[in-house]
Amino acid sequence: MAVARRARRLEVGLSSAVREFLREPVNLALLVALPPLVIVSYGSIMSSFPELPGMSSSPETLGAVAGTLFVAAFLPGVIGLFQVISARRADERLSLVGFPRGTLFAARLLTVAAASLLTGAIALAVLTTRTDVASLPAAFGTLALVGVLYGLVGMLIGAVLPRELEGSLVLVFVADIDEALASGIVETDAAFVKLLPLHYPHELFEAAVDGSAMATGDVLGTGAYVGVLALVTLGVYTTLTGEGGLQ
Amino acid sequence: MSSARTTFEMGLREYVRTPVLLALLVFLPAYFVAVFARVVPDDTVPVTVAGETLQVGMQAVVAALMAPMATALVGGVAGLFLMRSAKAADTRLAIVGTSLPEILAARGGVLAVAAVAASLVSTAVVAVTHVPEQVGWFLAATALTGLVYGTVGALAGLVFNRLAGVYVLMFGPLLDIFLAQSPLSTETHAVAPYLPGHYPLELAFDAAFTVGVDPSPIWWGLGYLLAVALVTALAFRRTLRVG
Repeated sequence: MAVARRARRLEVGLSSAVREFLREPVNLALLVALPPLVIVSYGSIMSSFPELPGMSSSPETLGAVAGTLFVAAFLPGVIGLFQVISARRADERLSLVGFPRGTLFAARLLTVAAASLLTGAIALAVLTTRTDVASLPAAFGTLALVGVLYGLVGMLIGAVLPRELEGSLVLVFVADIDEALASGIVETDAAFVKLLPLHYPHELFEAAVDGSAMATGDVLGTGAYVGVLALVTLGVYTTLTGEGGLQ
Repeated sequence: MSSARTTFEMGLREYVRTPVLLALLVFLPAYFVAVFARVVPDDTVPVTVAGETLQVGMQAVVAALMAPMATALVGGVAGLFLMRSAKAADTRLAIVGTSLPEILAARGGVLAVAAVAASLVSTAVVAVTHVPEQVGWFLAATALTGLVYGTVGALAGLVFNRLAGVYVLMFGPLLDIFLAQSPLSTETHAVAPYLPGHYPLELAFDAAFTVGVDPSPIWWGLGYLLAVALVTALAFRRTLRVG
């Protein structure tokens, strides 16, 4: 009985979040139009770079790979941010009438996961037109995971800074630092880079594209990052929803 | 002009009323430039500045590249939400007789304050790694980048929804400033001269690494800013009419 009620609540939360997202057709258009634009632009602009030290493949391929990760990560990241910010008042009211905050969180996360699957699939399809991908299932799995990872980052920022300007500022800076340093475009051996969300997924994705073996450390690193971030985001979301975040 | 001044002061007051936002406007550009300047190795790399190839430390190059980029990110996001959050108030101002140029001057003033503040912070952090040869010109180039991207952000706020707007501002400066205008690239990409960061970055690198600065990029940059501002003003007028 309790399980059925929880499932029903989750379904209600998920369907309302998806409906809210689809209410603006521009959102759907973005999901479809942005991946080709970003991936092709990245690859094209990177082709004017020389082979810099630290680059693991040709600049154009590296650009297309980095662009694919960019799309797969940051679109769900922005969706996660606005899922939390725009639904804050509704979530507060639902929480007051007894809707468990954990279920609300799960509904938001499932919406982000659905967007991650769709974005990942489109991004991978575009990448295959630019370069050979050795393992499509591994590449798709990594992209979907990266989407969920950044969706969680967006949700975390939205829970702590539940205002559009502040939340967007932080997300934009975090995403651009991460993309520039984890993508391998900038050569660095700083230990700090290993703490960035895209560091391990980037290694996994490159292995999936070029067909090399995935390092166990990279798989564990990605899994641990997603797991820890999910727990932290759940904790912060359930604590701060209704409290107003940082003002 | 008094309603423009009042609107400008109200806009600033809204920023001041949010300490978290003020802290972020200072902290984020500083952190951004400092992180990049610290993590790259200090090898010497060849860079082409004002048609001349120079040997410059990688940390200095990255710091000089990231200061305008940080300002562009702050300006862009501020511009995006300035137009979105002020839409209802601006419609009311227009109804009570405030002219379009007055409203735009007030909003542009707030944007300019955000861009100048971000450029001051990021230039100060650049100076820790490398003091630009011409600090004043470097500051002007950085502020111009923030203003151009602020206007692009305002336009994005009028044309797109917030999700698309934020995404454009996340992707645009990275592609334009970090990649297309990078002095590390061996050739200029065909689209690079048409992107918002082109002229400000040309001036920024000239000011950072050469003693004699050619001021012509600032005029081209101001022309670019004016063109984007005109398009934004037209979009804004249309929004007010529809609203």
